[in-house]
Formats: sequence, structure tokens, C-alpha cells
Amino acid sequence: MHPVQKHLMDTEFSGLEGTRFEGTIALSDELINLGILEALAKLKSAGQPNTTETTAPKVAVQGPSESSEPSVDPKALLQKLNVDKLRYRTEDGKTMVDIKLNFG
Amino acid sequence: MAEQLAPIKALLEAPRDHLAGTDMWIKLPLGRTLINEVLAARPPDTPVKDLFMDPDPGNLIHIHLEAAAPVVGSIRRRLTFKPGPAVTFPDQPWLHLDITEGFKFMDKPVIRLLQSTIEKKLPKGIEFSSDYLRIHVPAMLTKAGYQKLVPLIRHLEIRGGDDQIILLFHLKA
Repeated sequence: MHPVQKHLMDTEFSGLEGTRFEGTIALSDELINLGILEALAKLKSAGQPNTTETTAPKVAVQGPSESSEPSVDPKALLQKLNVDKLRYRTEDGKTMVDIKLNFG
Repeated sequence: MAEQLAPIKALLEAPRDHLAGTDMWIKLPLGRTLINEVLAARPPDTPVKDLFMDPDPGNLIHIHLEAAAPVVGSIRRRLTFKPGPAVTFPDQPWLHLDITEGFKFMDKPVIRLLQSTIEKKLPKGIEFSSDYLRIHVPAMLTKAGYQKLVPLIRHLEIRGGDDQIILLFHLKA
């Protein structure tokens, strides 16, 4: 694992405390239909350790250096997330999410 | 590089279409210990022997640097960086930091060596002199494969802080 990733995980992302998001995210219907929400959910679970032996040989062939490295677990990030506002609406072929959140 | 998921790929190919209506401010503070970890993760074979950041309660960033160059040998300097104006597109693509104090006249060989190391080791778009460090943000994003996100960045500012550096973004599509 990259030392910066390791530091982030070891310190429970304390180096990013005070992060704030405020505004609106708009996602096109096309993006929703392509499965952007499922893709984000997949990214969320990417930090789970992979214990299935069967996938190991395949990964090793493609890139041994990446085979056993767990990525940053987003769950640790989500635990420190404070949501002040989260409002969904749809208009003109898109989904709008008004958000105000901070981390820490 | 891992294969991108289809919706992420679609988003990066046409972010203005898929994110139209997005208007978001992001404040991203980076703590001193985190920044020092980033600085410590530099490539091992550079003339920089030691590099770490000091806090400052004002809008300044202090970096301790120890570097070695032929003839002049090893030098230790505490460089003070003052953040410049915010990045805005297309008029102001540079993330600019003035070096207000730290280098001395006789440090030119070390500065030249650092410049050549930056040219060899880092992507194009990072400029370093005795007076400033500046980063061409569109070049960096293009190098990372995110060229089409460039027009979405309406504002990118770096600020010094108490034990942290703060990045302030405004993204609009």
C-alpha cells in the first residue's frame, strides 16, 4: 500500500478533517441509467478485503504488484461524515442533489 | 491501470453533459502530518535529502528543505511560500506560490539541480525558480486523464493555515 494511503487509514483520515461540500450535484438520466449509483456503491465496497482464493491467479498474471493491496476503505470516511442537507429532485432529464456536508 | 466502470468512463468523457447543473464549493484542508507524509513519499533518488512542512497561522506555507548539489554541497533552507491568485479558466491556469524568503544568491546551483530533477521526475507543467513554484493545473489534469474536467473548475485556490494547507474549489457544469 502507498505510504500516504496507509497514513490516511492509520489516522482514520484525520488529515482531511474540516472538509466541506456545499452546493448541487446534477447527474444526467443517462448516467443514472448506466448505473452510476451502483458504480459508486461498488467503489464503496472496494475497501473490503478480498478473501476469495479463486481470483488471485488472474490478478497475479495482470499485475503482481497490485494483487494483494487493499485500497482505502471508504467506510472509515463515511463514519466521520456529517450531513446537514441532502435533498433529491428531478428535472429536465437529470437528478439534482442539493448537499451540505462536512467531514470531521 | 484498472478498467474504469462504464458510468465513470461516460462521465469523464462528457462531464459537461452528464453533470450539467452541478454547482459545488469544496473546501479541502490537508493536515500538516498528511502533507509531510506526501512529501516523505517522494522518489528516493533525488538531490532532496529532507523535506517537511511547518505550520503558519497566517496565509503562508513554510517548507524545510535539505538538498545536496555538486561543488556547493548540502544546504538547509526554510522556504516561505505565499499563495498567489486563484486558478480560473481559461484566464489563469497556474496554481502559483511565490517564494518570499529562503533561498540565497549562492543557491543557484541547487535551484538548477532541483529544476532538472522536477523536469525529469515530475509531469510537465511544474515550474520552479528561486522566486516561485507554479503548477499548470490543466496540464496536470490532462496528464492524469481528466482533461475534460478542466473547464468545470471555476475557482481553485490554495491557502496556508494553522497546521494545514486549504484547497478551495468551485466546480460548475
